[in-house]
Amino acid sequence: MTESVDLDQIIVGCRRGDAQCFSKLVDMYSSRCYGYFYRLTGNNDISDELLSELFVKLVEKIASYKGGSFESWLFKIATNIFHDFLRGKQRRKKLLEVRKELMESEVTEFKKSDNEKIDKLQIQLKRLDADTRELIMLRFYSQLSFKEIAEMRSEPIGTTLAKLHRGLKKLREFVEG
Amino acid sequence: MDPEQAQKHIEDIEKGEQLLREHPAPEPDDMLLANIKAEIALHILPRRAAVYKRIAYRAAAVAAAIIVIVAIGTSFLEKPDDMGSKPGKIYASVFPWDHHDSAVYNTRLEQIESDLQTLELGDEDTDNDSTVTELELESIEIASDFWKG
Repeated sequence: MTESVDLDQIIVGCRRGDAQCFSKLVDMYSSRCYGYFYRLTGNNDISDELLSELFVKLVEKIASYKGGSFESWLFKIATNIFHDFLRGKQRRKKLLEVRKELMESEVTEFKKSDNEKIDKLQIQLKRLDADTRELIMLRFYSQLSFKEIAEMRSEPIGTTLAKLHRGLKKLREFVEG
Repeated sequence: MDPEQAQKHIEDIEKGEQLLREHPAPEPDDMLLANIKAEIALHILPRRAAVYKRIAYRAAAVAAAIIVIVAIGTSFLEKPDDMGSKPGKIYASVFPWDHHDSAVYNTRLEQIESDLQTLELGDEDTDNDSTVTELELESIEIASDFWKG
C-alpha cells in the first residue's frame, strides 16, 4: 500500500517534470528492465541502448499514463521498444553479427576452465522460439499477473498459461538436461 | 482447461521461474544509470522551456485579442457626430494652414496682381513708385505669413 502510494507520488512528480522523481523510477525499474532486455538480446551493449531508450520514452510518454498498473504500462513500452529494435534493418544486421559473435564466444566459453561462470540459461534460452522466450521474460521481469499479460498480448488467459507452461518446462529440460 | 489442470500449470510455471531466479541476468552498469539520469534531465529542460513558451504565446495572443476587442468596442460606442465636439479634444490639421486661410490669401494675391498690372499700364493717377514699393512690401508680408501658417 505504502509502496503504491509512493509510486503514485513519484509519478505525480514525474508529470510535473521533476528530474528527482524520474531518477527514483530509474532506480526502481532499471534492474528488471535491463534483465528483460538482456535475456531477449543476450547483449550488454544493446541492452544498455534499449534501457536508455526506454527511459527517454518514459519521459516523453508519462503524460499519457492514465493510471492502472504502472508495471504493465512500462513493460508495454519496453516490449514495443524491443519490437522496434527487431524491426530496424540496421539493428537486425547488428543482431545477426551479435548472434554470430555470441555463438563463437559460446564455443570458446565451453573450452574455458570450469571455474569461469557460463551463463547457461542465456544459451538455452536461444533454443526456445522468440515468442515463448519473450513471454517468459515478460512474466518474470514485469511480475505482472497472468491476466494482465494475457490482456497485454491480446490473447485468452488459457493460451498465455499454456505457452508459459510449455516454454518453462522446455527450458528446465534444456538447462537440466 | 479445468481448475486442477490450471493449478498444476501454475505450479510448474513457478518451478520454471525458480530456475530464472537461480540464474540472474547481469545488472545495469552504474555509469549507464548515471548517463540515463543525465539524459532524462536534458530531456526535461527543453520540455519545460517549450511549456513556458507555449504559455507565453497563449498569454500574448489573449492580450492581443483583448486589445483588439477593446479598440473595436470603443470605436463602436463613439458616435460619429461627437467626433471633434468632445471637450478637451483638439484635432490638429495635417496642413500648416486651413483651406479658409488659403482662399483669403489667394484673393489678396490676385488683388495685388491686378493692382500691379493697373500701375504698369498707368491707368491711375498716383505716385507710382511709392505705390509699387508698398504693394511689393505687402506681397512679401503675405508670402511670409502664408509659409508661416
